[in-house]
Amino acid sequence: MKALAFIAVILTGWLLMSAVSDFPDWGDPASPANSYRLSQHYITETFPETSVPNMVTAVLADYRGYDTMFETVVIFTAGIAIIGILRRYGPKDESVLKQQATIYKKDDDLIISTTCRLVIPIIQLFALYVVAHGHHSPGGGFQGGVIFGASFILLALSRDLQTAQKWVPENRILKLAGTGIFIYAGFGFLCLALGSNFLDYQILHKIMPATPIEARSHAMLGVEIGVAFTVTAVMFSIYSNLASNGRMKEGL
Amino acid sequence: MILNIICIVLIGFGLLFFLGGAVGILRFPDFYTRMHAAGKGDTMSVFLILVGLAVYQLSDFNVANLLVAGKIFFITIFIMWASPTSTHALIKAGLEEGQKMWTRKDGKEDPQA
Repeated sequence: MKALAFIAVILTGWLLMSAVSDFPDWGDPASPANSYRLSQHYITETFPETSVPNMVTAVLADYRGYDTMFETVVIFTAGIAIIGILRRYGPKDESVLKQQATIYKKDDDLIISTTCRLVIPIIQLFALYVVAHGHHSPGGGFQGGVIFGASFILLALSRDLQTAQKWVPENRILKLAGTGIFIYAGFGFLCLALGSNFLDYQILHKIMPATPIEARSHAMLGVEIGVAFTVTAVMFSIYSNLASNGRMKEGL
Repeated sequence: MILNIICIVLIGFGLLFFLGGAVGILRFPDFYTRMHAAGKGDTMSVFLILVGLAVYQLSDFNVANLLVAGKIFFITIFIMWASPTSTHALIKAGLEEGQKMWTRKDGKEDPQA
């Protein structure tokens, strides 16, 4: 059996390595991805068209902003589905509670809670930085939102779920997740209301102190903030439902 | 030149500590001693390697590089906080879960202890 596994590993490794040799070189200008007309357009025209130095964010939030909007909706739907499947009301199941009480003895460890108290504000500050700096450096709403959600999960891990839920109780989670999509779609409808296409941010310069090109950059920031709201809320919602057996009370 | 030598020495020592941590994880007999090797070795080695990288950034001194060195310095501080804490949390969880501690083969107490 071990020999079989070894052969399988060798074969898979050989397959992967032989596939690697077919890849174009790193940064090869003649590779299909780089020589195609569309990539050329993004590389040369992104900054003149949107005043965003980070091409990835520009493509994500502007060129295919409609797609990203529904990606956010997918995350929202995932959160709702998790709540729908796991969330439980009604009388408590005694056997599950007893099991949990033996696994998760509630004790505040001084070292862990102090470190988390020091680290969590910095994590949240960094998350805001990642969201706000998304169009100048790697980052954006999804990444920043995940970091922000993780800070709440860390709080729940280091103390308990109730402490974390003082900041993000269940009804606030749902409101936050909805607000995120509302912000994103709101930017789209604002463009419509001003007489342009859905999510065509350029028209927003009429209500912003910015040139039409800069308006795209600012609107992208707003859209990213909406994404961050939804991702943060859904991250913590998924964690708290899974950790507490759907009760949102006991548990880790 | 001097900065380069300092940086090479720091990163070299960092890799040495990493090797020590890896050997410790493989060779030590039980969970606690392994975590001990991983926690100590990783914290120190990552600290040394990152400080070495910060020094390397500063060898070409300007404001942008100073900013990068500052960011590396912050990462170093966070690792100095987080790594020992996570080791502590893991070992505590192991203790609560009832991981067996390693003893001598004949079961006697260590006379030196």
